[in-house]
Amino acid sequence: MRAGVFLCECGGNISGVVDMERLAGHARSLDGVVAVSVSQFMCGTEGRALIEQAVEERGLDHVVVASCSPRFQGPTFERIGRELGLGENAVAFANIREGCSFVHRDEPERAQEKARLIVAGAVARARHMSDLPRRRTFLHRAALVVGGGIAGMTAAEELAGSGIDVHLVERQPSLGGYMARLAKTFPTEDCAMCSLAPRLTSTALEGRVHIHTLTEVEEIAGPPGEFRVRLRHKPRYVTEACVGCGECAEVCPVTVPSEYDFGVTGRTAVHRQFANAVPSTFAVDRRGSSPCRTACAVSTSAQGYVALVAAGRFDEAYRVAAEPNPFPSVCGRICTHLCESACTRGEVDEPVAIAALKRFVADTVGPTQEIRPAPRIHAERVAVVGAGPAGLTCARDLAALGYGVTVFEAQSVPGGMLRLGIPSYRLPHDVLQREIDQILALGVELRLEARAGRDFTVDGLLGDDGYAAVYLATGLQRSAPVELPGAELEGVRHAVELLREINLGGTPDTGEKAVVIGGGDVALDAARSLIRLQIGAGREPDVTLVYRRSEVEMPANAAELQEARDEGLKVELLVQPVAVVGEEGHVTGLRLLRCELGEPDDSGRREPLPVDGSDFMLAADAVVLAVGQALVEDFLEGCTGVEVEHGQIRIDRETLMTTRPGVFAGGDAAATGYYTAIEAVAAGRRSAAAIHNHLRGERLLPVWAADGEAARPSAAELAAVEGGQRTPMAVAEPESRRATWDEVNLGYTADQAMAEAARCLDCAVCSDCGSCARVCPSAAIDWDQTETVEDITVGAVILATGHKEFDAARKLPLGFGRFANVLTQSQVARLLSAAGPTEGELLRPSDGRPPRRVLMLQCVGSRDCTGSGNEHCSAICCLFATLHASLIKEHDPGVEVTVGYTDLRAPGKAHEEYYRRVQEKGVRYVRGRVGEIQEEADGSLTVRLENTMTGAKSEERYDLVVLSAGLEASDGTREIAGVAGVQTGAAGFIREFHPKLRPVDTQRAGMFVAGTAQGPKSIPDSIAQAKAAAARAMSMLSTGFAMTPAQVASSDLELCVACGVCETACPQGAVRLTAGAGAHSVVDPSICRGCGICAAECPTGAMQLGGFSDAELIAEATAS
Amino acid sequence: MSGERRIVAFCCRECAYAAADTSANARTALPPSVRLVLVPCTGRVGPLHLLRALADGADGVMVAGCLLGQCHYREGNFNAVDRVAFVRRLLESVGVEPERCRMFTMSAGEPPRFVAAVREMDRVIAALPPLPRSGDTAPAAGTTDAAVAGMGVA
Repeated sequence: MRAGVFLCECGGNISGVVDMERLAGHARSLDGVVAVSVSQFMCGTEGRALIEQAVEERGLDHVVVASCSPRFQGPTFERIGRELGLGENAVAFANIREGCSFVHRDEPERAQEKARLIVAGAVARARHMSDLPRRRTFLHRAALVVGGGIAGMTAAEELAGSGIDVHLVERQPSLGGYMARLAKTFPTEDCAMCSLAPRLTSTALEGRVHIHTLTEVEEIAGPPGEFRVRLRHKPRYVTEACVGCGECAEVCPVTVPSEYDFGVTGRTAVHRQFANAVPSTFAVDRRGSSPCRTACAVSTSAQGYVALVAAGRFDEAYRVAAEPNPFPSVCGRICTHLCESACTRGEVDEPVAIAALKRFVADTVGPTQEIRPAPRIHAERVAVVGAGPAGLTCARDLAALGYGVTVFEAQSVPGGMLRLGIPSYRLPHDVLQREIDQILALGVELRLEARAGRDFTVDGLLGDDGYAAVYLATGLQRSAPVELPGAELEGVRHAVELLREINLGGTPDTGEKAVVIGGGDVALDAARSLIRLQIGAGREPDVTLVYRRSEVEMPANAAELQEARDEGLKVELLVQPVAVVGEEGHVTGLRLLRCELGEPDDSGRREPLPVDGSDFMLAADAVVLAVGQALVEDFLEGCTGVEVEHGQIRIDRETLMTTRPGVFAGGDAAATGYYTAIEAVAAGRRSAAAIHNHLRGERLLPVWAADGEAARPSAAELAAVEGGQRTPMAVAEPESRRATWDEVNLGYTADQAMAEAARCLDCAVCSDCGSCARVCPSAAIDWDQTETVEDITVGAVILATGHKEFDAARKLPLGFGRFANVLTQSQVARLLSAAGPTEGELLRPSDGRPPRRVLMLQCVGSRDCTGSGNEHCSAICCLFATLHASLIKEHDPGVEVTVGYTDLRAPGKAHEEYYRRVQEKGVRYVRGRVGEIQEEADGSLTVRLENTMTGAKSEERYDLVVLSAGLEASDGTREIAGVAGVQTGAAGFIREFHPKLRPVDTQRAGMFVAGTAQGPKSIPDSIAQAKAAAARAMSMLSTGFAMTPAQVASSDLELCVACGVCETACPQGAVRLTAGAGAHSVVDPSICRGCGICAAECPTGAMQLGGFSDAELIAEATAS
Repeated sequence: MSGERRIVAFCCRECAYAAADTSANARTALPPSVRLVLVPCTGRVGPLHLLRALADGADGVMVAGCLLGQCHYREGNFNAVDRVAFVRRLLESVGVEPERCRMFTMSAGEPPRFVAAVREMDRVIAALPPLPRSGDTAPAAGTTDAAVAGMGVA
């Protein structure tokens, strides 16, 4: 080694403590040192000249500089080394200023000795310092800007102006960010939107800026210069055909709090955030499938018609309810309403009465509908066997699709179980008939008293009768056989047959003491029918229901059980029938055993276990069995190829076809789900789609609908809902109603319906009611849009994801979120905005009147060391409050405005002068904070304010209190920091590389930050920082290529054993292990950040960090 | 003045060395025992460097890095923590006081933490007896050959 040691006096900073001549003498004695010089300022021209001379004349290959900290002048001397042809890594540093003379001023002898050792250490290190390679990398001339606020737009335009393509990504539906929500800006009091709008327009028109709204950055991978970015576009559900007319928003029935307006007003599901939005296209806030919709067998948009009922738009509500289901009046009465069990409102108080609301609209609007026959499009005719809900729904859909349909019904009336199983006090016959007639009016032919297997055959239908397809929907029309001794006695009836007889107008004998065996809805229907029959026969009703499990396990509807009890039904639980007992061939009683509940069986319900010796007799002269239904198999006569398995028709689950081509089946007869009416309707719809696909020879319609993504309000949104109760429905009085077959539940009035519908929480926001699509003049609504993914490659990234307001609700004593008239400055900005919800009028939320006395409180959540706030000062709140105080005074000088502050901070140009001027307008500034706010009955607020300058304490009353809540990093900032791999600091703001010297760089090369994502700042500061970040990106991309740094890790192939520890350890993903024979680790120098973690992990010493090899470090550590 | 105690301090450039520079610029006095060795990140420091420093004449070795969670290279200081812990266990197992090797964290904005760390380390080391060394006297600090001798690394 031929090293030169260059000692700097540093203008006395070093030479004042250390004797430079003595030091030079020691340096000369070191092995490998061939030149030593002293200079007053080695970093200046004289110093450089000395080095240059020594390198030339003495043939130096290494330079040792003994001066200040390498963190200050390191780059200067390294560049000299490069320029003098010494290559990379030829300069070693002896820090004898910060490392010695500064810190040992009072101990010159020890400082001298230490300086000697430090220089020796540097020389020892130099011996092991060798040249390091650097490589060229390609840089894509494109940039990604994340965040479309003022900073993002500014940066994008600057970059575009220099010829760089920019992808500007914004997660909201429009550009604009926070500035678009402000009223005016300080200190000029320019209208914020007026300043922003030209920016919005010019960004939109700038050809090189590709704007992606409703888009998130999902991933950023790769080295600087070649960042591979994955963008995820969320669906807008509105196409570019949208002209921004706003007709859709006018008819949207769903309103949710507007985030754009900080919750001071609402906005509809289909919306545009503000008039100058870029793009100007509307967007639908559609979160997926509400729980009610997911729970419904036909995916009725229950949220849709409920929202329309709440808005008083009953005709439209009917259309939404009836589209998937031709029996809304029926289902509104008798459906098992799984939608209500799933209703999110049930978690707050009680579920919304969805079924009752459906009944209301169907009863109100249904009868007014004029149905015209559907046009006949297809030549084929389809035969439907069974006029129950499955068969009739299938017939309706097929008729609407343009087929000829004939429905064959064995009974003398249509309706199936709806007509013959359900008693008329639950479902009046005329209500059902009206909805059946509306189906028939489409052109469906109905043939009554035509029984398959007797009056016609399926083979005949497909053969001579010329039907192209047959749908078997014959239901389960008989009671399931029961093995109960004595069941053949006179007086024992089966429920299905009994109810059919009653519904066809008969009055069967019911005895004086009747017992019904069963726990389902059919058992209850039978029992309550018996009560009515007994009263009709002039007797006091005496009906007992016996069930073998407990009440909790009863399948019957709990509300109906209560209605039955109110009508006098007696109930015996946990009893099992053993035998029917009789005399002279007639029933006299029922022998029962008491039961205990054991372990759950296959169905999940607990097994009833009879208790030995507990049998007892229940006297009865009539017994009704309601324990299940079974298939009537007459139709199988002349029905070749159709198979019955486990008591039901066998079908293919995908095609819904039986084992005979062209013959389909559904509903109770073919068991595709629960045995309920709505499931039968669903089966009918699916079958119609399946038959259509079959007849047309291709999959035109989906048979099984896919569930959308489940949507519901957040936990925070739910917590904010005020509890109440369900609107009770009028019910006929039990004593009188049980003597009649009149309807028991009387339905809602219009007022009741609207009040009940208003309880809906709008889980999916957009309810798919379809109102917007119907009115859009450009047909721009598109429900089929889905999320898409786009991959782009850019050279540089600028993060400009902005901030959010501190959640003032965290300061409980200040009452934000609890008291109506406590607002934040952001909310007031919306109210003072000329284009805002109150057109610029500051009105109190509680009564809509202008306030006469306003208090503003500063530092809410800022300068806060209590742990429930942020420590930093949010920089702009003092001026924000001053601005709003000025605007309020301007509007009405008679309003008293007080600002309670900690320190009034007005840094920056013209801000102090602005503060002065506003004070002169009469705004009162009091140095003092408020501990607690109390609300009075009239909504005004009482505050105890201490003036810390005068010491005076006063209790004051204000109409409106405005909290100057501080700034924190937005959620988007925290998320993008994770994706981009950049560090965040306090309050989530992105950390700059160096707070003073590199304020727009992050720790990741090629990634820059601008605007409030980096920290609280005003608009002009955000703009300036955005231009700075753009300049950094431009400078990086300007040459089209870059040199990789010297301080990167590299692996010695001879020593590497391919253990892979380095690959795992690298936090940047810069190290890869090659595959196959001779595998070794490889470092990508354009990703490597030079931390050295891999080198420290390496067990063989193969991996070394350029400029910080083991030899270099150990030499310096041990020699100094 | 060999025989004076020596403490080698591996300091990361971003935080610890920056804190050292800042406190030095304020002329805060330090014990002269400390020798700063700059590393880009404390993640660069491994058991090799810590043990070599102690073996070749240092009475104590400290690693000074960024506050946990704020490493400028993401996680290097966590690695350093693990390695210092390992070296301490190793020292203890061979009968050397584990407190001779210690990790400190600080941010560049906290020069007093750097000063406190150095003073604390110096205080602890001062209270310990000299490190017994194998063979003859330890290689005298300040001679390059002695430093390189027996290193086994090219």
